[in-house]
Amino acid sequence: VSPDPVGATTGPADVQAEAAFKHWIRRLVKGAAELQAFESGQIDAVMDPATGSAILLPEAQAALQGSTRLVMSALDALPGDVCVIDAAGTVVMTNRAWRAFVAAYTGAGLGIGEGANFLAACRGVSASESVFAEAVAAGLRQVLAGARQRFCCEYVCDSSGGHCAFTFTIAGIAGNGAVHAVVTRENVSGRQRAGAPGGLRHPKASRIAAIAQAAAPNLLLAALPAKEYERLLAGFEQVKLTYGDVLYESGEQMRHVYFPSDCVVSFLTVVEGHRALEVGLVGREGMVGSRLALGITTASVRALVQGTGTAVRIKSVCFLRELHRSPMLQRALLHFTDALMMQVTRTAACNRFHGVEARLARWLLMTRERLPSSEFYLTQEFLADMLGVRRAGVTMAACALQRQNLIRYRRGTITILDQQGLEAAACSCYQHVKVKGLEAAT
Amino acid sequence: VARKKRAQAHATGAPVTTVVVMCLYVAGRAPNSVKAIANLEAICRRHLKDGYKLEIVDVCEHPHRALNDGILVTPSLTKVSPGPASNVIGNLSDTGSVLAALGLHAGDPQ
Repeated sequence: VSPDPVGATTGPADVQAEAAFKHWIRRLVKGAAELQAFESGQIDAVMDPATGSAILLPEAQAALQGSTRLVMSALDALPGDVCVIDAAGTVVMTNRAWRAFVAAYTGAGLGIGEGANFLAACRGVSASESVFAEAVAAGLRQVLAGARQRFCCEYVCDSSGGHCAFTFTIAGIAGNGAVHAVVTRENVSGRQRAGAPGGLRHPKASRIAAIAQAAAPNLLLAALPAKEYERLLAGFEQVKLTYGDVLYESGEQMRHVYFPSDCVVSFLTVVEGHRALEVGLVGREGMVGSRLALGITTASVRALVQGTGTAVRIKSVCFLRELHRSPMLQRALLHFTDALMMQVTRTAACNRFHGVEARLARWLLMTRERLPSSEFYLTQEFLADMLGVRRAGVTMAACALQRQNLIRYRRGTITILDQQGLEAAACSCYQHVKVKGLEAAT
Repeated sequence: VARKKRAQAHATGAPVTTVVVMCLYVAGRAPNSVKAIANLEAICRRHLKDGYKLEIVDVCEHPHRALNDGILVTPSLTKVSPGPASNVIGNLSDTGSVLAALGLHAGDPQ
């Protein structure tokens, strides 16, 4: 960062001494009033028509350098990560916290150093972050174009340090002839959202704090901006979902939508004359009832709880109301729906082409990454439904995995003993349907 | 007689409804520039109330603007309208000369 105020020059290099410099400037001062003000020390700068710039007098230079230092010290003293971006999108100034973040998480969370282009960094992120990076880039462009004064959005990413959630705030400032932007990044990964001390003051505070805590592990909700999340929170109720509960039958009206925290819900489709077959699986990475976002209020599949745990739910009407007013919620939902579609299409192909043992391994891994423990309760009957095979087939596959010491299966309780071994035994589909950010916290 | 009265009214200064348009050229947050802004704002509050328009031009950001307007040093205050145009240079601590340049008198707050 140059301490010199931008746009002002300090005269020729050979003019070193202050007196000589002033003498040199004096030549430019024309007119009696100008000269008088100059002699009495009331002048800060003199225009130089030859270079088309303002030449600052030594006192003004010192004061401006001092104020630049003051600004830098003030930025450094701020607890958040702050950087200043010029009209072209280049990072021109960073504070101490920002630099420390760049050093710790190279590249993650748009952590780039001075001289790098922020808009280019937004284009270079991984596929999982691109939806957030695009939103940040669009907001920054609007601020730099002067179309809006302030922009705020959430950003979720995976880094070497695990799953991270940030809030980006971008504010326009008057810069050197063009609008600059101040970007503030706040790490909200560990935030207890509305449950934070002092965060709530009304009588329902403790109930909402409990719901906030129950909702906290859900990644779809974690990706929402605080304001939109808090609006949803008001309509949430905490529910315990038990193994075997049916949330919707196919064709039924979806009265509520569910956001799992530490439970797993399977989507099953029933074909006449056959057993139910699992076609999808959702845990804390998403929600049950996302079809509402497509404008359809009935369930297309049976939603069956297959891992007991906690979830929060909200009435479909309330959810739709929030959905219509929140572009970030729409975005998060589209993102999730796309991931679910990927999972469903892959499962369809997997059921046709892969053996029961590899499919069982994949299914156990998918369940494991959504549950808080590596031990869960499942009957063979249930597993047969999940995989679309007869009970005997499940028994054989489970025994084969047990023989390899990958799992233990006793009276309906499955324990995963060797995660890596099970990944090797699973078909390649697991790597395709694996949800980023799930494995980090479990 | 009527012609004479109009001429007298013109000579005593701008009518109450006239908006004074000014442009103040400064060099960023340099000391004399900061003083000039504060002094001018105090003068405007006391003598012009809402009857003025002030534009502040930072010559560090817009040097060409200053050069095109014939500004040689900053801080520098220019009265754009009502005519005739006038100019005051320095940190504007001399209220009397600022008022004179703006066509106002020390004793008549609007």
